[in-house]
Amino acid sequence: MTETSSNSGHARRVVVTGMGGLCPVGNNAADIWTAIAAGTSGIGPITRFDAEGFETRFAGEVKGFEPSEVLGRKESRRIDRYTQLAVAAAREAVAQSGLDIPAEATSVGVLVGTGMGGMETFEAGTETLLTSGPKRISPFFVPMMLANMASGTVSIDVGAKGPNFGTVSACASSAHAIGEATLMIRDGRAEAIITGGAEAAVTRMGIAGFNAMGALSTRNDDPQAASRPFDLERDGFVLAEGAAVLVLEEREHALARGATILAEMLGYGTTDDANHMVQPAPGGEGAARAMNLALDDAGITADDINYINAHGTSTQLNEKLETQAVQRVFGDRAATVPISSTKSMTGHLLGAAGSIEALITISAMEAGLMPPTINQVTPDPDCALDTIPNVARPGTIARAMSNSMGFGGHNVSLILGAPDLDL
Amino acid sequence: MQSAAGMIGAGRRVVVTGYGAISALGIGADALRQGMRDERSGLKTITRFDASDQATQFAAEVADFVPGDWLDRKASRRMDRFTQFATVSAHEAVTMSKLDVRLAPDRVGVVTGSAFGGVETFTASVEALLERGPRRLSPFAVPMSIANMAPGVIAIELGATGPAFAYSSAFASGANAIGEGMRMIRQGRADAVVAGGAEAPIHPLIVAGFAAMQSLSEQNDDPGGAVKPFDLHRDGCALGEGAAMLVLEERDHAIARGATIIAELVGYGATSDAFHVVQMAPDGEGVARAMVLAMSDAGIEPAEVGYLNAHGTGTAMNDAYETIAIHTAFGSAAKDLAISSTKPRTGHLLGAAGALEAVISLQALEDGVLPSTLNLVTPDPACDLDYLPGESRTRDVQAVMSNSMGFGGHNVSLLFRQART
Repeated sequence: MTETSSNSGHARRVVVTGMGGLCPVGNNAADIWTAIAAGTSGIGPITRFDAEGFETRFAGEVKGFEPSEVLGRKESRRIDRYTQLAVAAAREAVAQSGLDIPAEATSVGVLVGTGMGGMETFEAGTETLLTSGPKRISPFFVPMMLANMASGTVSIDVGAKGPNFGTVSACASSAHAIGEATLMIRDGRAEAIITGGAEAAVTRMGIAGFNAMGALSTRNDDPQAASRPFDLERDGFVLAEGAAVLVLEEREHALARGATILAEMLGYGTTDDANHMVQPAPGGEGAARAMNLALDDAGITADDINYINAHGTSTQLNEKLETQAVQRVFGDRAATVPISSTKSMTGHLLGAAGSIEALITISAMEAGLMPPTINQVTPDPDCALDTIPNVARPGTIARAMSNSMGFGGHNVSLILGAPDLDL
Repeated sequence: MQSAAGMIGAGRRVVVTGYGAISALGIGADALRQGMRDERSGLKTITRFDASDQATQFAAEVADFVPGDWLDRKASRRMDRFTQFATVSAHEAVTMSKLDVRLAPDRVGVVTGSAFGGVETFTASVEALLERGPRRLSPFAVPMSIANMAPGVIAIELGATGPAFAYSSAFASGANAIGEGMRMIRQGRADAVVAGGAEAPIHPLIVAGFAAMQSLSEQNDDPGGAVKPFDLHRDGCALGEGAAMLVLEERDHAIARGATIIAELVGYGATSDAFHVVQMAPDGEGVARAMVLAMSDAGIEPAEVGYLNAHGTGTAMNDAYETIAIHTAFGSAAKDLAISSTKPRTGHLLGAAGALEAVISLQALEDGVLPSTLNLVTPDPACDLDYLPGESRTRDVQAVMSNSMGFGGHNVSLLFRQART
């Protein structure tokens, strides 16, 4: 029986033993961190489809990813891009963890979130139906488009037979996955869970749909300056694609097999605004409650947080309300606690945002370097925060918070700790 | 404030205090109950679109559903059909439970499952984009399409501000949502959770997609007799639409407010095959483990389970493997277990199937009336259990189980028991 820890109060503590990711600034965790530490933007003109005539013609694309190299030519054609990205990220994470999954398959779960699922497949299927009729729909259409197929395919790929499903909560999807996976391990339902998120929504519908909502930046003449969270001149988010996967593991289980612990999952809080389909609650009430629940879950207070990875989408409304939420929770410290939005570099990975930001936060802890918010030119008086403008800042991060919010009023806050907090 | 999940979860029991359902058998849980007693199928020729060029031309549609009769008319126009179903079912469930969400809104969660989300909205939007260009889309195209809008809208309608999101595990989604909703209450994260599933897949693209996989029966001349789970001549399933929601509640919370307890949700098992994208693991290994996990979670012996609502899709592989899995999980008790598939009546509600079948199982537990498997005429030697052919059977049972499986290898088993002191 595991001793109750002095740290978070949970009998079964959950640690991170592996991570992998692909996003617009790099195709593995190390490259992603190198780019983030240097303040590099991954945003550029759209190449995945002809964006002529679209209001927004730039995005954050994953570059140089050859799915056939990862999955083989035949298999890769039978899975949607979001699942391809998930499998690549999962393989990197599992390899780093050194976990022998086949040896304990039934106690390893998979939870990968996505906001949109197989969007490219869904669009192409609709087009085929319209142009060629129902009898030309591929037998792979349904399995490719389903939003659970990242979880399903990863479980097949690595041989994990424990609990398995996806979480869907728009832009909070992968943060939900990581949080729920943490609770599953605490509850003893699994010893390890491969968890995170994947999204491949840089498609015609993705761009046109978010354009129709007025949600995307239209700074077509300067894409790399378009994602500018907290800056007064922000004009919308930048759609991006990618995946990030963590291997979460029960701490004693990880220690017993001599695994390297990258970080600890200390806390998870989730709430719903119940206010509006697409607008956050006034005053950031729901997000603030999620942060407080996460702090309680971790058994710490806001004073213990050294760094916040913000949701920070680069829309006017989000940052205004997110600032109010941070002010509610952090009080006098709100103006001085370092907080950055790495979406300024990666763009907004929607359902994969929470997971890529968890990965970046863990890298930042390891490096002792706080990632910047780039494109900070004109401060917004409504966002009186220390956004780590433009240049990464050295600093010890013992405990970090990562926030995610999604259309539908979903709020998630995760708290990550350095691996050796109680030693 | 309650904080540590798991630590304080011990001893928190979860009961059902309300449910709602919409299916081809009718709008409301009473229509579902009656539909399980009548020997009739909700499968008919498709009317929602012209299906004459489809290989399969029938499905189980919800007839005469006028959203404005049930929901604020303006609000309902901004919901996809699956969210309309979800919201109407949630209202029915909460009304039955008499739960006053506003007394402690942050202690009430909403978790639902859907395999496809807003199919009609998404495909119509793609069509608009292709025909009229990228600048003519509705601002509601994205929010109405996404699968989490069902829990998002239900949370708004009820004023529930606890955990709210969607689960996605293809055709096990609704069952996963119910099981995870139970865990949330056990963990102390909520005192009540509205949990279930919703699906509106009767669309040419989805029908064609399943037809391309040869999952669907093509007996277009006899829709009501087409789906034949466990029968030697079964040739596939048929799609259905609808929703079902449960109000799950911490038992002491329900007792303290004098709620009527319908049943206790005592067991939940969730596993993965890790075998194949669309095929079940040999011998139903994964679903057998889910059933065993549910029974061990509940502390219930196989012989105590009196009725099993099977996944029973009516495909050759599913019914044979599920039968083997039931043998594996129940051992010598398998032969005495009453099993049926209600999909010949409701069609396959995909992400809502597990939720609808949970309500059917609860009604069987309440009433002591076990629904039959329609269209089971010629026994299949590979399916050698009691699948309740013929008429529904009157038998009091102490516990009921419901199985769900989804493409991707997801298996879920839920176990309900008579409410006890």
